[in-house]
Amino acid sequence: MKSLSVLTLSILGTVVGAVIGVILILTRTLPEEASAQAGGIDDLYSAFLWFSGIIFGIVTLILLVAVIRFRARPNDTRDGSNLHGITWLEIVWTVIPFILVLAVAFVSWNLLNANNVSGAAEKSGQRIHISAYQFGWKYTYLNEDIGIKDSQELVVPVDVPIAFDITTVDVMHSFWVPAWRMQMGATPAQTNYASATPTKIGEFDIVCAFLCGVGHTQMNSAVDSNLVSKVKVVSQADFDKWVAETKSEAAAS
Amino acid sequence: MTAVLRPTLARCLWTTPLFAALAVFVTFAARAIFNMDPVMQENTFLTVAYIFGSVGFIVGIGGMDYWWTWITGGELDPNDHSQHGAKSWRDYFKFNTDHKVIGIQYIIFTFIMYLVGGMFAEVFRAELAKPGMQSITNGTYNELISSHGTIMIFTFMVPVFAGIGNYVIPLMIGADDMAFPRLNAVSFWLLPLAGLILLSAWAYGSYDTGWTAYPTLQDQSPFGQTLFQIGVIIAGSSSIATAVNFLVTIVAMRAPGMTLFRMPLLCWANLATSALVVAATPFVAGAMFMAMFDREMGTHFFTTDGGGTALAYQHIFWFYSHPAVYIMVLPGFGIISEVIATHARKPVFGYRAVAFSSAGIAVLGFSVWAHHMFASGMQSWLRVPIMFATLLIAVPTGIKIFSWVGTLWGGVVRLTTANLFALGFIVAFVIGGLSGVMLASVPFDLSITNSYFIVAHFHYVLFGGSVLTVFAGLYHWFPKVTGRMYDEKLGKWHFWITFIALNGTFFPMHYQGLEGMPRRVADYAPQFGWSNTVITISAFILGASTLIFVYNMVHSARHGKPAGANPWGSLTLEWMVSSPPPTFNFPTTPRVIGGPYRYGEEGVKHAIFPDEQPAETEKVGA
Repeated sequence: MKSLSVLTLSILGTVVGAVIGVILILTRTLPEEASAQAGGIDDLYSAFLWFSGIIFGIVTLILLVAVIRFRARPNDTRDGSNLHGITWLEIVWTVIPFILVLAVAFVSWNLLNANNVSGAAEKSGQRIHISAYQFGWKYTYLNEDIGIKDSQELVVPVDVPIAFDITTVDVMHSFWVPAWRMQMGATPAQTNYASATPTKIGEFDIVCAFLCGVGHTQMNSAVDSNLVSKVKVVSQADFDKWVAETKSEAAAS
Repeated sequence: MTAVLRPTLARCLWTTPLFAALAVFVTFAARAIFNMDPVMQENTFLTVAYIFGSVGFIVGIGGMDYWWTWITGGELDPNDHSQHGAKSWRDYFKFNTDHKVIGIQYIIFTFIMYLVGGMFAEVFRAELAKPGMQSITNGTYNELISSHGTIMIFTFMVPVFAGIGNYVIPLMIGADDMAFPRLNAVSFWLLPLAGLILLSAWAYGSYDTGWTAYPTLQDQSPFGQTLFQIGVIIAGSSSIATAVNFLVTIVAMRAPGMTLFRMPLLCWANLATSALVVAATPFVAGAMFMAMFDREMGTHFFTTDGGGTALAYQHIFWFYSHPAVYIMVLPGFGIISEVIATHARKPVFGYRAVAFSSAGIAVLGFSVWAHHMFASGMQSWLRVPIMFATLLIAVPTGIKIFSWVGTLWGGVVRLTTANLFALGFIVAFVIGGLSGVMLASVPFDLSITNSYFIVAHFHYVLFGGSVLTVFAGLYHWFPKVTGRMYDEKLGKWHFWITFIALNGTFFPMHYQGLEGMPRRVADYAPQFGWSNTVITISAFILGASTLIFVYNMVHSARHGKPAGANPWGSLTLEWMVSSPPPTFNFPTTPRVIGGPYRYGEEGVKHAIFPDEQPAETEKVGA
């Protein structure tokens, strides 16, 4: 009877947990999915919320029921049962999480590889070098046909894979575009790599995610300041136009 | 006048400046002789003054008296116990070798630091209450968050468990004291020193690089950053010395019959923690020394202009600081096992699995440090193995959680304040653990790392986890320490307000991080306005709830109902002596005859005193 009621509670906890998972998924506040990679990450996150909700549901439901059902009455001096453990149950709750985390690891590994589009970007996309400084970013377009240097503005064509290589001239920064679900640090004296394929036209925030000194707060296009501008994702035609204009301005000055 | 010659704080008042002045003089002389330019280098002098002044402080308080007399062949009386045990409140301000006095010194000092660290948080939460900059500048904000993290981790979270362990562990294993009582006292006195140094940094421009203090940003900070490094080195030394002491005590000082598998689980947890501290803490001390040399001696360990590697600091730092997370939570796991078994009147479910899972976490804890660095640009092949190892830690952690729930099931659950905190811990820690599993996933981590999601995660682990276990432990052993009962009603108020406010403070942070709010910022985009208001209000309530606790402890210690030796009807050894225990703990050495949690077995005992007749024939094992 006892093991049966725990089993019933586990099933009930799973249902409650699934509901919690759904609530968490419905109430989550994600930036819009503006890259080809964002969808996969959000799906992974949804899966996380499901299984987290279920584990949370099972544990807290059994905990609550245990506390209510087995609570001590006033002046209760009884002891509980002298049960020291149930080996098969301990094996079950070791093996199931083990399988679960292995699944998480393999899915994540797969997604990590799938999200890396730097190879495609090398071949047929844009290569952009980001140089971080206190407090801003400079962008150099590495494709030979473009050749824009040290732009304060990041403008990229839509639906084209982009490979970033990121450096810093002073301290550690971290280049984060939440709408692309992409972040990579800018670590002193080395080059870091990241990639994304923007899929939505528009302007998206660029956030410095790593504490880099007194200007760190304002090194964020979402915060009211003129230090950094948003990334502009434009159509290929608008991109070509921007490249031409920027080049002629550079030639004129 | 003799007070300034005997080992007291008064003697520190002249030994500290004397040692500092000597060091400054030698440095000055060396600079002058070797014709260094400039001879007067203020920061160099301050650095040596702080380091050698610290030695002077330990000499002043009496940390070296016995050893010095021994080394120089002076007269020593092995039966001199004049520094052992407290007869009045004044003895708590002295070098004392009694583990119970040291335990109380630790707990009270670390709790004061908890309040200080909490005040830092309340100030910057006030700034964050609404968008825009109101009362403080970016610079001050960075200093506040840096002090909050540093003070909380190095002078509260790590050492408070050393305090609880100090008081309880020798009693639990049937020992008179720790293995090295004088080293124990030195360990404690290093800690207020570290705390003072970390706070005195505010006089020198403080440090504004977070508690992680990465190069090369830390090279730009004012002199306060060097004091951060000295403070962390001293706190780390304290931590290492205590851990050595715990290891030897638990291995070598157990009462007859206390086999490894008859040890209460807190002893297992402390054993695993101490092994972690001994192996890992030297790494952070090393990183701090190298960073300090970079700043004050012009070396190039991490400064890139001279060929150093900034990333190396992160590796060395996290090689300590990830195990440090387990250092800050494993003893808490031990406390929870004690509290739940006692207050649910049932043996800990799966004792051996819980004991081994502590050891498993300690071993795995060394293979996961780089999950803090997924976005740092480290060797990319390292990411996947680190992800696997990190995810695997969920398995032993899960075993513990499930075992505690299994312990409650079929027990007689007494909802004392101590037990409420244990239950609240389980709920909050499950949340922190699950977000940890998410963050272990490299692609997910790369999409939100360094955001408020991270802040939410580690506050669920360290506040919902560690701090709640500290409260559970303090309520549980309060009657033992003071001989009086705390006020259950106030205790329950404290629990419920804390539990609700902690969720109100830290849960919304998950949403903020996912939506794109980075951590360590003094201002944010307008859409985060209302959630930050909720967080700030909750944080104020959370802070206020601590006052209930302080009042309850202070008032009950004087006016509470007498507790008697064993108010909870617990079976472990510390409850078999009077409350508070006699100066040398046990009138006669106890003999352990069975497992520590044999609840539900009629007339069975964990241990007996040899003059007592065994209640039944000895049973082997747990």
